[in-house]
Amino acid sequence: MQSNDELKLVLLIASIAMLMMAFFVITFVMYYQKKRFEEEKKISDIEKNYNRLLLDTALNSEETERRRIAQDLHDDIGTMLSLTKLSLNQLSKLVGNSGDEKEESIMKKSQSLVEETILHVRRITRDLVPTTLERFGLMEAIEEFIHKLEEDNNLVIAFQSNTEEFPRQGQKLELTLYRIMQELVNNAIKHASCTKIDIVLEIDEEMIGLRVTDNGVGFDPEKIKESNLAGLGLLGIESRLAIVNGTVQYEQPAKGGSSAIARIPVNPASGNKPEPLHPFRRERVNI
Amino acid sequence: MLENYFSYIIRQPVISTPVFLNLLPILLIWRKRAYNDKLLLILFVYLILKLGVDLVMLDLASQRKNNVIYYNASIPVRYILTSWMYYYEFDSKLHRRWLLASWPLFLAFSLWDSFHTNPSMSDLNNHNVVLYSGTIESLLILFWIMLYFYNTIRTLKIPNLLAYPFFWVCSGLLLYYSSFVFIAPVLHYAAKWDQWMDIGTLDYIPYVFESVSLILFSIGIAQYRDKSYAK
Repeated sequence: MQSNDELKLVLLIASIAMLMMAFFVITFVMYYQKKRFEEEKKISDIEKNYNRLLLDTALNSEETERRRIAQDLHDDIGTMLSLTKLSLNQLSKLVGNSGDEKEESIMKKSQSLVEETILHVRRITRDLVPTTLERFGLMEAIEEFIHKLEEDNNLVIAFQSNTEEFPRQGQKLELTLYRIMQELVNNAIKHASCTKIDIVLEIDEEMIGLRVTDNGVGFDPEKIKESNLAGLGLLGIESRLAIVNGTVQYEQPAKGGSSAIARIPVNPASGNKPEPLHPFRRERVNI
Repeated sequence: MLENYFSYIIRQPVISTPVFLNLLPILLIWRKRAYNDKLLLILFVYLILKLGVDLVMLDLASQRKNNVIYYNASIPVRYILTSWMYYYEFDSKLHRRWLLASWPLFLAFSLWDSFHTNPSMSDLNNHNVVLYSGTIESLLILFWIMLYFYNTIRTLKIPNLLAYPFFWVCSGLLLYYSSFVFIAPVLHYAAKWDQWMDIGTLDYIPYVFESVSLILFSIGIAQYRDKSYAK
């Protein structure tokens, strides 16, 4: 009888111990799983921030390099070309006095070539550093960009904004929007065989939207991504947007062509007026 | 007839509760159409079979007849159906192979155990509970549960365990088989028709945790979402 009671007690204790272990296992799995997910999330966030920092640094370096090249072009090549033009002017007077028509013709051709080169250098410098963007803002920079493009191409580019006075944004945000607009328009010209491009810039209390629509052949962004055909352009757009917490969406309008919409949270410029970006000054750009 | 049932249910509420509690997860699976999921379909079949066996056993118990043969026969079926769910949950081919290999082995073992425990199979009145099969079944299921939990925390495939039906099913099974693993061999000696041994509270522990496990199954099935089911 006593051994029977002892057996029951032992079994009861063993069963309770087993059940406690079962409860412990269930709790442990739940807790450990949750903890590991939190750790994974932390690691993922750190990686994300690190990648973002890398991307930011890469883009800053790109802008610094653009500025350096623009400065070199302006200060060195530009100055030398101006001096060459002056020398050619002086030489032209001497040649003019000699009365040789052939020499005069060669001289004029040389002068014209130098002038053309000076114009090219100036254009390249402006393309490299969007001085209008920093001096006057996004709308003026886009208008200037469109104006230059329309001069060079047989294109109709329309620009609309939902505000007349587009409020100034942080330097990084304005530059990002400008570069994305440049990339999208250049893509449309290069790949879409379009005749018309519409650029729409909209701002509300929270977001800035930039829409670039063309009437070209159109493309399927998903297929391009799946087939690893995404060039540096589309990746560059996504990288730039990742830094400013922006998004991009590609659409295929029913009437044809393609449309890209970039959306970025508003980040108004600080009280200090942004210093003009100018290729004359040698400084590191801080975007 | 009904009086016998009611009398038995009133006399043995702890033993009778899980029989009727079986209906809760069955109805939930039916209502939520959770049988569209392979795993829950197996659970559905398992619960229906269990309900059938439990009702037959309740009927026999209320008539004071030996119902142990149904219990013995249900052990391999219960093991195969329960472990089948793990077959779909394991990603490793090796684990799946182990699991498949355990079916014929366990079936053979439980048959041997039944004949070994009851040399005279035709004598239903003195049929005894199998000696080893219940314990081996418990150990095997506990092993598959542990293996599943280990894989779960290693692979981190399920973002929210509490919203994952099979986690609740596993928890229910873990509690039930943990409560049963030490009691199963004792039943062979305790539950004899002519030499009944009173083991007191121990007799009720598996039934209590059977009810708990059925409630946990029901909680899990309630988490089932047709589209967002994790696997």
